[in-house]
Amino acid sequence: MAEQAGIYLRLAAASVRATARRPVYLVARTLAAALIVAIEVAGVVLMLDRFGSIGGWRPAEVVLLFGLAFTAQGLAMVFGDTLEADKMSELVRRGTFDQVLTRPASPLGWVVASYVDTRFLGRMLAGAATVVWATDRAGVAWTPGRALLAVLAVTCAAAIIFGVLMASAGFTFVTVQASEAVNVLIFGGQYLASYPMQIYGSALRFVFVWVIPLGLAIYVPALGILGRQGPPGLPGWLAWLAAPVAAAFMALGGLAWRAGIRHYVGTGS
Amino acid sequence: MRAYLALFRAGFLRQTSYRLALAAGLATNAFFGVVRTAVFYALYRERDQVAGLDVADALAYVWILEGLFAVIWAPWFWELAEAIRSGEFVVELLRPGDPYLRLLAFDLGRTVSVLVTRTVPTLTVAALVLPLRLPGTLGGLALLGASLVLAAVVSFQLRFLFGAAAFWTPDYRSLFMLLFPVLWLLSGFVVPVDFFPGPLRVLVDWSPLIPLLMAPVRVATDGAAAAVAIQVVWVVLLWLTGRLVLATASRRLVVHGG
Repeated sequence: MAEQAGIYLRLAAASVRATARRPVYLVARTLAAALIVAIEVAGVVLMLDRFGSIGGWRPAEVVLLFGLAFTAQGLAMVFGDTLEADKMSELVRRGTFDQVLTRPASPLGWVVASYVDTRFLGRMLAGAATVVWATDRAGVAWTPGRALLAVLAVTCAAAIIFGVLMASAGFTFVTVQASEAVNVLIFGGQYLASYPMQIYGSALRFVFVWVIPLGLAIYVPALGILGRQGPPGLPGWLAWLAAPVAAAFMALGGLAWRAGIRHYVGTGS
Repeated sequence: MRAYLALFRAGFLRQTSYRLALAAGLATNAFFGVVRTAVFYALYRERDQVAGLDVADALAYVWILEGLFAVIWAPWFWELAEAIRSGEFVVELLRPGDPYLRLLAFDLGRTVSVLVTRTVPTLTVAALVLPLRLPGTLGGLALLGASLVLAAVVSFQLRFLFGAAAFWTPDYRSLFMLLFPVLWLLSGFVVPVDFFPGPLRVLVDWSPLIPLLMAPVRVATDGAAAAVAIQVVWVVLLWLTGRLVLATASRRLVVHGG
């Protein structure tokens, strides 16, 4: 087990070193990823300040949701970027994945560790900075419980996004051709979860609380951090349900990935 | 002229052949459109007008944004820069006719294809379901159509200038990755520029980013012919800039490899 972990760490270190060969490019990519978060938040603050509130939430409280969602997405993408349809499709089409299967390592571990993308660290750190700024502006007094809720939100939402990515990669083994449809869930889901869930219609809210539980993982813990009452049907204690739900979601993603590999036939040479 | 029409047609057919990408693109636009619509409905629940926009204006903004997304931020953004870096672009300079016009004709074929297959269906369905503010007359709709095409032209012209940076530096990507988020905000793709603070708003109103999204939105919501005029002025200015850049770059073009 420790030996296995060592292999993945070395693979990850090698992939980071490879990108670090072009330091300017690496720094630009990381800064750009952080800048996107800053710009998006700046735009939303400009707009919300004009209106004063949305669904009873003050701008700083909404920005907390943005921060949590960006941090989680960044965390998931640092490891899962290669699982995106277009990159997975390339691994399959070029026959690289044939080689992966012959290696004495788990295919998932190999793919994830070999293509760690530090760019998304920029997104993750900018997201975390957004959380700190938003809670300060919203006047949140940090307690161990609230900090735990923030960690829970980020970890669970990241696990859910990673689960979606695994399922999408499993799907790509079957279709070979890349389908960008999953991006709706990853980028669209992050955008949706960045606003308080009560502004959405019941169908959309149901899907993103119970089917792809990003709302459960971000909105409900945020209620606790802000000390707010949830709308009917979404009490604050549901936050603790996020962990088992996210774990189950990730397990389902893993099953889809395995099912995909069983259908993998290579693309010839 | 026939050659340019043929290029336009080729671009159109090339873009139209990506059916799966089209379906995924429409789904993405629909999803983001629905979320943005919910956001604006929630924002306007207790207010009629903010910064000169009411909810019908905001919804028109949302769906024009979704419709124009793939036109302005074309997925083939890097093609020109990569052709320049690899040296393939030399072929363009050797072909008969005018390289700038040829590139424009082909690119416009692709963007018009996106306008026909994505923008128009997206806007039509949205207008049937939601109370968007769109022109009620045929003349108004024609003006909106012209404004959308002009947005596609300006998009090409700006992308040409960004791509042309590859004539001077092979590391063009780093620069633009840092620039993109800023362009993204200032062109109104995050929130309408009407919500910007005064001085920033004035600055943006006089920039070539206005023709990309906000001009068509203003044509749709106010029937503003002035917005179309501004687009035309920018097309001319960017045309002259593009020609100047191409002429300068062609004189000093160095092709690597053999």
